[in-house]
Amino acid sequence: MAINPHFHHTSEQLNEELIIIEASKQNPEKFGPIYNKYYKQIFNYVYQRLDDKETAFDLTSQVFLKALTNLSNYQFKGVPFGSWLYRIAHNELMQLFKLQKGKKTINADISDLRYICESNDEPFYEEYIPLIKKIIQELETDDLQMIEFRFFEKRPFKEIAEILNISEVNAKVRMHRIIEKLKKSISKLKL
Amino acid sequence: MEPKFNLNRPKLSDEEINKHKNFDQLVKQFKQQSIDKAKHDKSWWKSKKFRYTAIITGTLVICTISYLDLFNNSSNKIVKHETNLTPKIQSKKSSVKKSVISEPSAKLKINYTSYKINNAKGGEIKHTTSSKIKVPANSFVDKNGKDIIGDVTIDYREFHDAADIIVSGIPMIYDSVGKKFNLESAGMFDVKGSQNGEPVFIKKNKQLNIELTSSVSENRFNQYYLDTVSKNWQYLKRDDKLTLLSKTNKLNTSKINHSISSPKLENLKNQIEVVIPRKLDSVKIVYAKKQTLLSKPKEPLKPNKPAPGRPTFVFDGSYHEFPELSVFNNVVFEVGEENKNYRSNMHDITWTDVKISEGPVKGKNYLLTLVYRRQVEKLIVYPTLTGKDFELAEKNYNQKFNEYKVLIEKREAQEKKLVDELQAKQTAYFTELTKKQKELDNERSSLIQQLKLNEQKQLNSSFNTLSNQTKATRLFSISQFGIYNSDCPHNENSGKIVNPAFVSHDNTHVVNPDALYLINHSSKTVTNISFIEGFKFIYDPSNSYSICVFSKNKLFICSKELFEKAVNNNKHQFTLHEITDNTESVMDLKKALEI
Repeated sequence: MAINPHFHHTSEQLNEELIIIEASKQNPEKFGPIYNKYYKQIFNYVYQRLDDKETAFDLTSQVFLKALTNLSNYQFKGVPFGSWLYRIAHNELMQLFKLQKGKKTINADISDLRYICESNDEPFYEEYIPLIKKIIQELETDDLQMIEFRFFEKRPFKEIAEILNISEVNAKVRMHRIIEKLKKSISKLKL
Repeated sequence: MEPKFNLNRPKLSDEEINKHKNFDQLVKQFKQQSIDKAKHDKSWWKSKKFRYTAIITGTLVICTISYLDLFNNSSNKIVKHETNLTPKIQSKKSSVKKSVISEPSAKLKINYTSYKINNAKGGEIKHTTSSKIKVPANSFVDKNGKDIIGDVTIDYREFHDAADIIVSGIPMIYDSVGKKFNLESAGMFDVKGSQNGEPVFIKKNKQLNIELTSSVSENRFNQYYLDTVSKNWQYLKRDDKLTLLSKTNKLNTSKINHSISSPKLENLKNQIEVVIPRKLDSVKIVYAKKQTLLSKPKEPLKPNKPAPGRPTFVFDGSYHEFPELSVFNNVVFEVGEENKNYRSNMHDITWTDVKISEGPVKGKNYLLTLVYRRQVEKLIVYPTLTGKDFELAEKNYNQKFNEYKVLIEKREAQEKKLVDELQAKQTAYFTELTKKQKELDNERSSLIQQLKLNEQKQLNSSFNTLSNQTKATRLFSISQFGIYNSDCPHNENSGKIVNPAFVSHDNTHVVNPDALYLINHSSKTVTNISFIEGFKFIYDPSNSYSICVFSKNKLFICSKELFEKAVNNNKHQFTLHEITDNTESVMDLKKALEI
């Protein structure tokens, strides 16, 4: 899976970002370049997990407002600022799902479902779709999040690790376990 | 509860996502949130540090006041005097801060159009009215004079007639050394630049060239800049660099060719590029296959006589004992010239074993293997016939050859039939291809025509917003952002004084204006009448006027005829027609003002 240039940064890019963030702590109006850089990414992340775009736009604004409000607490950890924004977005989404239980939505393409089957060395037939949907819908929240990251958003492990604040190895292990679970469920499709 | 599952939901476009991007709004929200938080935050009161500081400061203040009260009565008066003065100065300052631009309606607005331009590259912006903003590379700096990196947002809007001027709230009075003039505009624009909400500035020694499309082609106008500090227009220069325009020569056709598309066009392209070529390939394959299935007649072998002087072998075996060898009865095998191992003494040996098998040229020669004890000899031999055998064989050959010729002719006829069929099919496909190509060309030219018509319509509609027939561009070279105007100053109205009263068109109630504009259609000027003297105004009876009134968020118009009726009536009672409740379109106002 290719590295996402919008997410991964060279040390120079990280430094540039850090300078803007430090300036934004003093003057929020300096936050513009960060807002412009990450707006689409965060919106897509949020919208991927919701059904209606209006809520997604509102929640994205909320994420940036929260980020600006808590900017003084932000500490640089050697990863792009985006991973902090993703965590805020994740928390905001969790909060929303807690309050409005029907809000959580899974959005995928048929090609994503095919990708899941083929990654599990299983053939994919269109008649499997309702069953695969059911398997995904029944996944635990954390497992579903990993599936969304890996198969629906096609994120590389390095990026998943940075967003979840875990090591890349840990991300791979988690994914391996989920794939094992999926394999069992998908292999039942044959029966 | 199981989450909802959407399969193949359409993706949102970048434009739709970017439409919701509003950094200024975010900063505003953040600031408001900070203010609200500060208002409700009482934690400072609980701080020990704050409490001690407050006690010490309080004690010091009490001591100072007591000292002043006891020993310095006169200073008390000064203090009092100063305290009385302060609010007056403050109120004066606050009135000075009032903006020179005062929009009469919160809803009726001429909105800015935003354009992005890269500071390093510069470029040309084309506004919807065909006006152009030409930006040289590296034209912008920030408030500290540093070159801007990246894109700059240029916000731009234009004002072309009385309606635009009224809703803009831009003053149209020009004060030239104490003498006031009403300005007649040939076009006005407001331009500003920013990056991420921060204002940017035009760099020293750099100029933006603005070609303003104007509805007036006369060259009696001057260029002015609105100085918002001195609240007056600044004369810049004569506005004499005019370029006359025609409606038709502005059509931009550069993007036409790659922007046309329709389902029919795509279908035709698919037919021409994919479907028909595939059919052509397929028909070739089918006919090649059919051709291979045609029966291939075998040409009979011509019998030969042995060449004179060439060595021969005769197979002298027992045909009775080995009936399979009877086919070789009377056959004379001629030893080929290629056998370098042939020796004449081979004829003297009585070979114990003889094998005959297919030779290197199938049907023409044989491999004769002769064995005697350990000696094995291999010879390539050619079957020949002699005497009556040859004659009989030749007769058979002639008969078979004639049959062969008939079969060959039949096959050639079948082949020809197949080739003709193939060619007919290919010709049909080529005809179809040409037809589709023609249809594609027609569809493309019809789409281009449609696109051109649409562009022309759009261009016309842009021009129509400028209202007049004659068009021109007016060139402004600006070194700072702001409001610029191409104006002709007219003396302030002179003539009869009117003390107006306004009533609704059904004569049921009096209308009290919040703002009043007098539109002089003869001199094409708009005057904002002051409410201080009860909206009194002066009019020239030889000119034609109408009135625009804003009252309680409603917009009223007194038409030219009603104006004339009112001024001829000594009561000076003007009948107002409400355009619409809460009108939101400047076009409604233009229509009502007969612009």
